[in-house]
Amino acid sequence: MTSELTAVPRAIDRSRWRAPVTWRPARVPGGRRRWVLPLCVGVLVVLVLFAVVVPWVAGIDPRQTALADANQAPSWDHWFGTDQAGRDLVVRVAEGLRVSLLVAAVCAVVATVLGCVVGLTAAVVGGRTDRVLMRTVDGLNAVPHLLLGIVIAAMWKGAILAVIASIALTHWTQVARIVRAQALTVRTRDYVLATVSLGGSRRQVLVRHLLPAVAPQALLSVALLLPHAVWHESALSFLGVGLPPDRPSLGTLLEDARTRILVGQWWTLVFPSLALIATTAAVAGLSAAARDRLLPHRRTEVGVGGAA
Amino acid sequence: MLTATGVVAGYGEHTVLRSVDLTVTPGRITGLQGPSGSGKSTLARVVALLHPRTAGTVTVDGRSVTGSGYLAPAELRRRIGMVFQSPRAATDPRWTLRQVIAEPLGAARRSATRQRVAELAEQFQLTDDLLDRYPHQVSDGQLQRACLARAVALRPAYLVCDEATAMLDPSTTATIAQLVRGLADAGTGVLAVSHDRALLTAWADHVLDLHDLHADARTSWES
Amino acid sequence: MTAAGAVPGAPPVLSIRGLSVQLGLLDGRWVHAVSDLDMDLPAGTVTLLAGESGCGKSVLASALIGLLPPTARVRGQVGLDGPDPLDLLAADDDVLATRVRGRRVGLVPQSAGTALTPTRTVGALLSEAVTTLGGAVPAADLLREVWLDPDGVADLYPHQLSGGMAHRVLLALALAGQPDVLLCDEPTAGLDPENAAHVAGLLAAQARTGRAVLLISHDIAACAPVADRVAVMVSSRVVEVGPATDVLDRPWHDYPQALWNSLPERGFRPVPGDPPPLTDLPDDCAWHRRAGGACSGVLTLEPVAPDHWVSCGRGPVGVGC
Repeated sequence: MTSELTAVPRAIDRSRWRAPVTWRPARVPGGRRRWVLPLCVGVLVVLVLFAVVVPWVAGIDPRQTALADANQAPSWDHWFGTDQAGRDLVVRVAEGLRVSLLVAAVCAVVATVLGCVVGLTAAVVGGRTDRVLMRTVDGLNAVPHLLLGIVIAAMWKGAILAVIASIALTHWTQVARIVRAQALTVRTRDYVLATVSLGGSRRQVLVRHLLPAVAPQALLSVALLLPHAVWHESALSFLGVGLPPDRPSLGTLLEDARTRILVGQWWTLVFPSLALIATTAAVAGLSAAARDRLLPHRRTEVGVGGAA
Repeated sequence: MLTATGVVAGYGEHTVLRSVDLTVTPGRITGLQGPSGSGKSTLARVVALLHPRTAGTVTVDGRSVTGSGYLAPAELRRRIGMVFQSPRAATDPRWTLRQVIAEPLGAARRSATRQRVAELAEQFQLTDDLLDRYPHQVSDGQLQRACLARAVALRPAYLVCDEATAMLDPSTTATIAQLVRGLADAGTGVLAVSHDRALLTAWADHVLDLHDLHADARTSWES
Repeated sequence: MTAAGAVPGAPPVLSIRGLSVQLGLLDGRWVHAVSDLDMDLPAGTVTLLAGESGCGKSVLASALIGLLPPTARVRGQVGLDGPDPLDLLAADDDVLATRVRGRRVGLVPQSAGTALTPTRTVGALLSEAVTTLGGAVPAADLLREVWLDPDGVADLYPHQLSGGMAHRVLLALALAGQPDVLLCDEPTAGLDPENAAHVAGLLAAQARTGRAVLLISHDIAACAPVADRVAVMVSSRVVEVGPATDVLDRPWHDYPQALWNSLPERGFRPVPGDPPPLTDLPDDCAWHRRAGGACSGVLTLEPVAPDHWVSCGRGPVGVGC
């Protein structure tokens, strides 16, 4: 049982086992994610510039039809190709991205702010206020939100504000729920108790501890809501209560592409989709990087303090 | 004197303290001992005005306190510092140690705040380098020293240490005990709560058993 | 010459040779958690590994069963004796998972609160562990082995257990695969002195059945009475290993002396200085740099008596109080 023990020395010749010095596995973890933040910022800047500058520089009315140029594949004249009415897709994607980004960003921010206000109020005030607010949230969740959105949007058909309102007012409830849960767990932490013991008021606890604690959730919900709002806007447009069909948005463009892809016009689908995916990914990466900045203990993955 | 008289407290239906009396005297370390789950921590929090009581009174230097938590007057809450069991749970992970210590001082009088933080840092052996680190970058002992500095930043008359050394190794425990002893010698009334009798015997001026503080089991410990 | 920390007579079950562990940080620095450790865990003994928080004790336990984070790097050898000897550091994860963890090396984790699945009863958790690990001892007997009454405890959910009971259930789980080595990381954390002594007593009883027990703890008061051997670690290095009575009462190195002196019963004087961060240890002796005092510069353990090793070229520092 002992003689074949090559790996388990009994009587140790130190020199043999100490040298040579080799480390394994020596994966150097440094710098893995340093490029994420600049990349995401870069992509977003490019997208926003694209959306703002192209329609302005091109000088082409995105609604202007040119049936002679209809259904062209990408070429030097039309980088993204043209649609069935001969309209240049570079211009239309840029215009669509601008409208969609605007609608989606406003929706996401409004829904998140509303959700945070309601969630934090419910958690901090508690008692009857909490119960009333949370039952309201439950009630809203019980109604299919597309249905509710259609009702709101239909009241001012075709107005961009109505589209924003119909999406924002139906999406804050999830945020409120998550923020309330997060705030409730933080509220009972010892460091909040320490603030109270040092004479802190509810307002101080809210501003110093609760808001910073829910900020990462809020950022994440903005990131998740942005692409969702783009889809919602397209659904409303499709149902005829959103943006008018001549007004390009990523939603209406994708709606167009749905039929064109069947006849092999891949570019009508690919370029608006790429714009949407790039936007989503950049916003998600940005929010993840921002979250890491908000949580100092996430910055170095292996805590020294934990190595007890 | 910080006194609790006839305190009844618990969690919802569950009563943990049934009429308990306790006195914390300035300049002395009062040890409070009892097994796990006996209500020591609840009593410490009641005395620090952080936990509601269903009956009984707490008086701070003769002033009777109504309410607890946010409802207790802020200036009375500031008279009593509190140190918790886990320094990690008692510090916001987003704050540097400097921010942790400066929290009670507020941002109102900037230069005075900076000076007080420097004083506290010296008193609790926290170097400038440590003050700029986040909780996850320092050891438990260093973090507990920062919590102690925060608790006494406003020069409270009383200090409640709720199992403040239970998570710490012997050396760090001795350091914290030494620092708290220094505060007591300077006139602070300390309530040291622990389940470890050996620790309290070495640390406190007198040790009380929570069991004996209940009205139905009271003995003549007050001598 | 035999290895540092080797016990003459008793065969070591686990032989640690030149073990170093470093954990990578995202900013490219390394946490020096364990440096050049030589130690044996003999069968049938309890070895207490004592030291301050953050000296690298817990990382050692993770290294011994291959549960280090992916950013870690190791060097050295951990030989596991038995019918199928094995270097735990060189073995791949499959082998460790299917043949070592739980079966030959058991780990009693630190946190009783989070280590048990909250939705299963104690009995279900134990039976499952026994089935998975192919253990020969049924769940009820395991509970009896840790001095719990199976009729009273098997149907309880983890949240219904007191702290001391939860620790004992964790020990029973670690015993499900009947391992030869038991690694216990702060098994008395958060327990009051009675419960802590109880758990320590259970571990001693396990050693008497022939297991090698490594007890990693800073709760010296509870663990010292059951320890056969004591190793003392400071700033990633073990500076003294030897028979419990010698190291506890007549340590040769000045760090163990300072550590014992910080106990409430033994003077209550803090160990001088702050430990340096493990990211940034000096090449020479971190302890003597921190506390002052002469150091020979020999950081490896040298034998000073039978079964007693000391580093830094220390002589006896006098009788403990």
